[in-house]
Formats: sequence, C-alpha cells, structure tokens
Amino acid sequence: MSARSAVRILVIDDETIVLESCSAILEGEGYELATATDGAGGLETLRVFRPDVVVVDLKMPGLSGAEVLEKIREADPTIVTLVITGYATVQSAVDAMKRGAYDFLPKPFTPDEFRLIIRRAVEKRSLVLETIALRRERELLREHFAAIVSHELKAPLAATQQSVFVLERELGRVASPDQLARLARVKVRVGDLLQLIETWRCGVSVDSEAIRARRAAVPVGVPIAKAVESLAGAAARKEIDIAVTVPEPAPVVWGDQGTLTETLVNLLGNAVKYSRVGGRIAVSAEAYGATVRIAVADTGVGIAPEDLPLIFDAFYAAQPGAAGERGSGLGLTVCRRVVDAHDGTITVHSTPGKGSTFVITLPVHRGDGPDAPRQEAQPLAAPAKEGRR
Amino acid sequence: MTERKKLLIVDDDPDFVAGIKAILDTAEYETDVAYNPKDGFAALKARRYDLLLLDIMMGRGAEGVMMARKIRKDPALRDLPVLIITGIREQIAFLFPGQAVHPHFVPLDELLEKPVEPELLLEKVGALLQAAEARRQKV
Repeated sequence: MSARSAVRILVIDDETIVLESCSAILEGEGYELATATDGAGGLETLRVFRPDVVVVDLKMPGLSGAEVLEKIREADPTIVTLVITGYATVQSAVDAMKRGAYDFLPKPFTPDEFRLIIRRAVEKRSLVLETIALRRERELLREHFAAIVSHELKAPLAATQQSVFVLERELGRVASPDQLARLARVKVRVGDLLQLIETWRCGVSVDSEAIRARRAAVPVGVPIAKAVESLAGAAARKEIDIAVTVPEPAPVVWGDQGTLTETLVNLLGNAVKYSRVGGRIAVSAEAYGATVRIAVADTGVGIAPEDLPLIFDAFYAAQPGAAGERGSGLGLTVCRRVVDAHDGTITVHSTPGKGSTFVITLPVHRGDGPDAPRQEAQPLAAPAKEGRR
Repeated sequence: MTERKKLLIVDDDPDFVAGIKAILDTAEYETDVAYNPKDGFAALKARRYDLLLLDIMMGRGAEGVMMARKIRKDPALRDLPVLIITGIREQIAFLFPGQAVHPHFVPLDELLEKPVEPELLLEKVGALLQAAEARRQKV
C-alpha cells in the first residue's frame, strides 16, 4: 500500500480491555498497530502515526466518537474509519456512517468479526489510494501527453515551414509566379496545421489548477485591449469595425490575464469569422454586483437555435464562417474551460442572420483580502503539480 | 567596414538550423552551429561570439534552459545577448511558473517562436546586436 510497507491501524477506545483484545486479535496479521484511550490522544497519535484505518469507539468520555470522526475526516478524508458501538442501535451506526465512517461493529464482537471488518477496511483504503494515484496519473498524462505529442508534431512542421520561408526568399526572383503561388499555398497549409496543433493542445490541456493558481487582480480593459489588438488585422481585412466600451476606471476581475486574453481572442476571432464584410463588433465590460460582465456582440451570420446547446462541446463542427472559414471545433470548448476555472459563466444569445452575443461573467476582484477574494475549498485529492525537468 | 558579427546557433534540429543559417548568411553574419548544449557551451568558451541563438526544447526536455542558466552564472558570458527560439510558447510558462511568458534568462534576450519569418529573425538579431553595442559603450 502506497510507498509504505505495513498497513497502519489505530484503535481509539476508552476501555483498555477492548484495546488489548483488538491488539491480540490483529497480532500476526502483519499490521502495524497503535492505540489511544481517548479522542484527544487518538487525534494526537493520528498526526504522527498516519494510519490507514482508524477504529473509533462511539461512546467515550471527553471528545465523543462522532467528534473524533469529524476531526479525522477534516485531517485526512482518505483515512478509512470504522466505529465500534456499545449500544447497538441502528441510529447511532447510521449517524456515524453519515459522518463518514465506512462501517460499524456492535459490541460485543467475535475475533473473526473484527478481523473481517478490518480486512474490508484495509481493502477499501487500498482502493481509495489507488483511485487517487490513478486520478493523479490521468491528470499528468493529460497535461504532459498533450504537450509532448504536440511538440513532436510541431517541431518537424516548424522545421519544414522554416525551409519554406527560406525557399520563398531565395526563389523570389527566379521562380515563376505559378511556382511561387504553389509555394505560398504550402506555407499557408503548413501554417494552418501548426495553428491547429496548437489549438488542440490548448483544448486538451487547459489546466484549471494552474489557471486558479495564477489568478490576480486584472483590470478588465487589459485583456480586452490585447485581444482587440491581436484581431485588428483580421478585422481590417474584412472592413469590420470593433467598438470597445469599458468604463473608467475599468472593473477589476479576479483572474488569469493570459488565459482570459486567449478566451477573448477566441470570441473576437469567431465574431470576425462569422461577420460579413463591413460588419460591426461591440466589446463591452461592466461591473454587475459581485461580478464583471464582458460581452462580445457581432452582427454576423448568427447561430441556428438547434446548434446553440452544442457549440461549447468539444469537436462540435461549426458551420463555415461568412467566407467559408472552418474552425477546429475546440475554440469555445477552451473558452468554457477557462471561464469555468475562473468560477465564471459563459452564455450566448443568437439570432440567425442578425448576429450573436457571447457574455462572460467573472468574479469581481475585491480589494480587501490579501490576494484571494475567498477561501477556496481544497479538492479531495489535488493532483500533484510536477513540472517537467 | 566593421568586422562581421559572429553568431552561434545551438539547436538539435539540423533542418531548422539549416533554415535559420541560410537566412543569417544572406545578411553577412558569420554563423557557427552546435547541435547540442554541450558542444554549444564548448564553442562559447572557445571563441568570442556577438550573439547566441538558442533552442529551448532540446533533447529530453528543456536542455536549452539548463544551458541558459549556465550562461547566466558565467561572468564571462552573462552579457552575451541571447535570442531564444522555441517551438512551444506554453512550455515556457510551464517551466517558469508565475513568470511572464518571456523568461529573461540573461540581461539581453529576446524570444521568438518557430518557425521564424526571415524578416523578423533579421530584425531581432539586428536589434539585439545594437542593444549589446549600446550597453558596451555605456560601460
């Protein structure tokens, strides 16, 4: 079990006779055993002994069994707890199970009964640990696999593209216009492929934990300005006007500037893609209670009502853009994952032929706390953050 | 006529190196090449260069980062301008959590993504060389 050799069991009971008999029963079973005669002592032992399974007597002087169960769950929810109950009522057992106990054993019990319930608890504990390990592995795989695979795909493509760049320069004066046009097509197609790999990588590896860890006070005008700037060229080519309305001073959100910018680039990119030549796009932000709303509205082709519920799903193939452009089917999925990681929401209203409006709602940054606006609940088993070295 | 500037390219992808070198050669730079950090560092020690073009993701992981750290620690090399060339933008942020995308390994460095447009490459190289010149004259 995990990296440790023996399974550790802690028994907390105020009757020494019970502790002694439990020890005697488990002797020779290969467990490492510790005992405590009251709740406070038991919790003290818990910290240093780090047991896999804890057996708690429900009825004890001082801290009650129920309180001890609660404290154990707070300290480490992966520890499997069993209760011994002297008053073998269904109710006390049910209460204990509600507080997270895995099973209960009414007194008096036979050695075989005790051995059996311990064995089952140990099994349960090993399943819990395995689940945590698998979950962590899956997370790491997801993140690293995406990054490594995309690197393996991108590196040769980038080298190819580099050669195309050079060829284009070198052949500029000697090749025929047809040949140069073919070379230009190669460059465009390879460029699209590079972009696609990057988008897929982002889609697979949106790392919510990392986004949450990077959150800081972000004046909402900053990511908006950056996104508008990066789309300015594409908009100008289609003679699309992008109007930005952000109040002064700009509302401040609690977020990660990088991924928020990418999200807005995505939404604006869609707005440009699905706008007709000469269309208008409006980007606005406003404080709304404890949230900040950012809206990206276009006057483009709009989204059919039957498509609306699906557009945030991965690989949902959107209709071609106003000029026949196709997307990867991942852009909005990435947007939603980023917004989710911010505890925000993203919604869309659309009228076919008239245009679409995407609204992102993000928590406002409250300037009072040291940095975090409120205490985040820790996930039960946070995957270890291990960087590549 | 000033002396030709000496550039060192350290990158483990021969095709990419060939592409970069072809561009730099047209601009009358003198370029040497090393295909791994070890040879690259040896070259830096053996000869005085005006600029290093360094690939970050070499070999098994980020060997280029190790090389950049070694350069930063070396008083004789610390002032060498470095043009960092990388295939993966995100990787950099990943390796340097909490920092902006640009890692700023050494006092003078710039970041470019693969593949690099020839004009952009020449522009960055020129700007870095100029900045290094300006720094030298100030000291």
